[in-house]
Amino acid sequence: MARILLVEDNEMNRDMLSRRLERKGFEVKMAVDGRQGVEMARAGGYDLILMDMSLPEIDGWEATRQLREAPETKTVPIIALTAHAMAGDRDRALEVGCNDYDTKPIELTRLLGKIEALLGGKTGT
Amino acid sequence: MSQPPHVSPGAGAATPFTPEALGELRHDLRTPVNHIIGYAEMLAEDAAGPELASRRAHLDEVLAAARNILSLINSTLGPNHTDVRAGDLSRLYESLRAPRQRIVAAVSAVLGAPDAQQDASLADDLGRILAAAGRLAGPADATQANGKTANGGQASGAPAGQDATGAATDNGAGPRQARILVVDDVEDNREVLRRRLTREGHAVETAGNGRQALELVQQRRFDLVLLDVLMPELDGYAVLETLKGNPATRDIPVVMISALDELPGIVRCIERGAEDYLHKPFDPVLLRARINACLEKKRLRDQEVEYLERVGQVIEAATAVEAGTYKHESLAPLARRADELGRLARVFDNMVVQMKAREGRLRDQVRDLRQEIGVARRDTREMSAMVDGGNLRSGERFSHRYEIIGVLGRGGMGTVYRARDLELDEEVAIKTLRPELLTDATLLGRFKDEIKLARRLSDQNIVRTHDFGEWSGVCYLTMEYVEGITVRELLDTRGKLGISSTLAIAGQLAHSLQVAHEHGVIHRDIKPQNLLLDDEGVLKVMDFGVARLAERSTSMTEAGLVIGTPAYMPPEQLLAEQVDARSDLYAAGVVLYECLTGKPPFEAASVTSLVAKMLTTEARPPVEVNAEIPPALSALIMRLLAKKPEARVQTAAELAEQLVGLG
Repeated sequence: MARILLVEDNEMNRDMLSRRLERKGFEVKMAVDGRQGVEMARAGGYDLILMDMSLPEIDGWEATRQLREAPETKTVPIIALTAHAMAGDRDRALEVGCNDYDTKPIELTRLLGKIEALLGGKTGT
Repeated sequence: MSQPPHVSPGAGAATPFTPEALGELRHDLRTPVNHIIGYAEMLAEDAAGPELASRRAHLDEVLAAARNILSLINSTLGPNHTDVRAGDLSRLYESLRAPRQRIVAAVSAVLGAPDAQQDASLADDLGRILAAAGRLAGPADATQANGKTANGGQASGAPAGQDATGAATDNGAGPRQARILVVDDVEDNREVLRRRLTREGHAVETAGNGRQALELVQQRRFDLVLLDVLMPELDGYAVLETLKGNPATRDIPVVMISALDELPGIVRCIERGAEDYLHKPFDPVLLRARINACLEKKRLRDQEVEYLERVGQVIEAATAVEAGTYKHESLAPLARRADELGRLARVFDNMVVQMKAREGRLRDQVRDLRQEIGVARRDTREMSAMVDGGNLRSGERFSHRYEIIGVLGRGGMGTVYRARDLELDEEVAIKTLRPELLTDATLLGRFKDEIKLARRLSDQNIVRTHDFGEWSGVCYLTMEYVEGITVRELLDTRGKLGISSTLAIAGQLAHSLQVAHEHGVIHRDIKPQNLLLDDEGVLKVMDFGVARLAERSTSMTEAGLVIGTPAYMPPEQLLAEQVDARSDLYAAGVVLYECLTGKPPFEAASVTSLVAKMLTTEARPPVEVNAEIPPALSALIMRLLAKKPEARVQTAAELAEQLVGLG
């Protein structure tokens, strides 16, 4: 069973996305801001990180940068979630080290496709 | 979180939004829709099994409405739309209103179901859907537009969404947990109250100043506000006034608290709508008693409001029935209730379903009839052109006011002309009466009385009688002109009619007789020639009361001369006995018999032998002539054809009722 860390400050987004992923068989842990996200990720054990880019404390861009610098999280796949498709967001996300990128509001099937692609054989169920 | 762009649309209403603002706007609107869809899909997944079919249907309704909203948003704010202005946005918000209301209604229906009452997590998620729907309200909807900031990471209190849930599940009885907001600028005071009230089982939030209190009240639902009078900046009086001045917060009870013990202050608070007043330091027992009293009062009022809302739903449904927009199941949540309102809703819903089914059947019957009329009209187009003859020529002036157009028909009574009423500029039918009919002064008097009565009949199934007059020695009647064909012509071209078409005629004929009989008018001469059908399939009975002229003191058998055919006359009329409403019902039976079988029940070579047959033999039941005729309809017609009036269907109303049961 794949473990996902969801870093998201909006309570409703967090609640909904985590529950929908759990229904698909993933184990989901949650962080409410960038600082907590980095701490939890570095503690280890995650197969994939979903990172909201606009976060309090440390934003998603900075958090991703830190995770890519730390040896224990260097290779964990990160999918950036941004609020709206601004030109350049995608390139910027890939540049700071994200493996993929999705826009909010989240369309579950689209996101699941990206998650499965990054996890290879290791899926929710 | 940034200021939502829809609150301040850039430089002015006429300026398009910037791409950044549009992106943000799109996001702000699509996020709540996405929340609605996400939660509704999860709840729909959970609602498996037949016992939850109704819940699933409501959730499907939520999903359908949410997807509708999404496509509306995309059609205005899609990534390809660059020229979007404030006007477009208000139109968008306007268009979102209906689907948003559908969502709220469907969620309320789920919440209202008895099985939802016990399920806290269901209620939570439904509350989240409601909260998200609230964020789709336009800026005009001020109380809900603020909901956006509720998710912005406020440190205090419940997770977003719980607010709306609370409101919906708030109707439990007895002493229970309440959400209380404590407003005091002194931290120690806030803490004391918070701890004490929490220990009582309440959920407590605190605000350190008036402004913060007003913000919190906008974001969440509270059952009670404890409000300190003396605070810097915005004091308790000002906060109280704002709360009571806003319809959204007006009903939250406010208890004022103050260390000052002065009467004018208390009076001032009560005058401005405060529920109660407490002195610091508090007596714990008094505090509890007063808070519970306040909450109990609010609970009772909420119950009353809820009850009235449900009564409102029934009234709304009644209005919808009148307007023809009632949807079956729209009272479903109410109908599941065990109380009187529930029973009322169930009965009401059932009635409407039956009524609609009946309307549907009637519509089908009339449609079939219209088809038959259409075919017959094509076949008789040339034939039914103007009939020759008559003493009046077309173009001739008649009685100053009318211009003759042509002859419509000739019968035992006289000639019927189509004419133009020059005064009112509309077409009328003029029936001139044969002078020899008018020689008996008594008979003429009775005839005039009858026409006076007939003139009062106003119904869509009755040809209106306008006037009786005399001109140049000619007595005449003017009537409504109906473009159409008679049932006689219809039968002559079609042979016989289908069961559905016959029922359409029967229902309308029964109705017209019911109206006339209730006004004391007996037709005396119901026959296919007197039944007009317009192109819409509307039946109009003509010549009400006219047959009075044809009455004789002697019976038909003795006189030997009959105006028209006796085939539709009941025995009592043939024998010149007492004629009453039931005589018309017999005639109606003959007409319907002929519609179904193509022939009247009795036929003979001469009038005398026909009359003899009618008086002495029984008709063959229609079902024996045509096996496709439903036995119940056949039996009903046989009851109309009973020789003795007392053995017939007794009233036109009863006939109408029986027909409804059949068709």
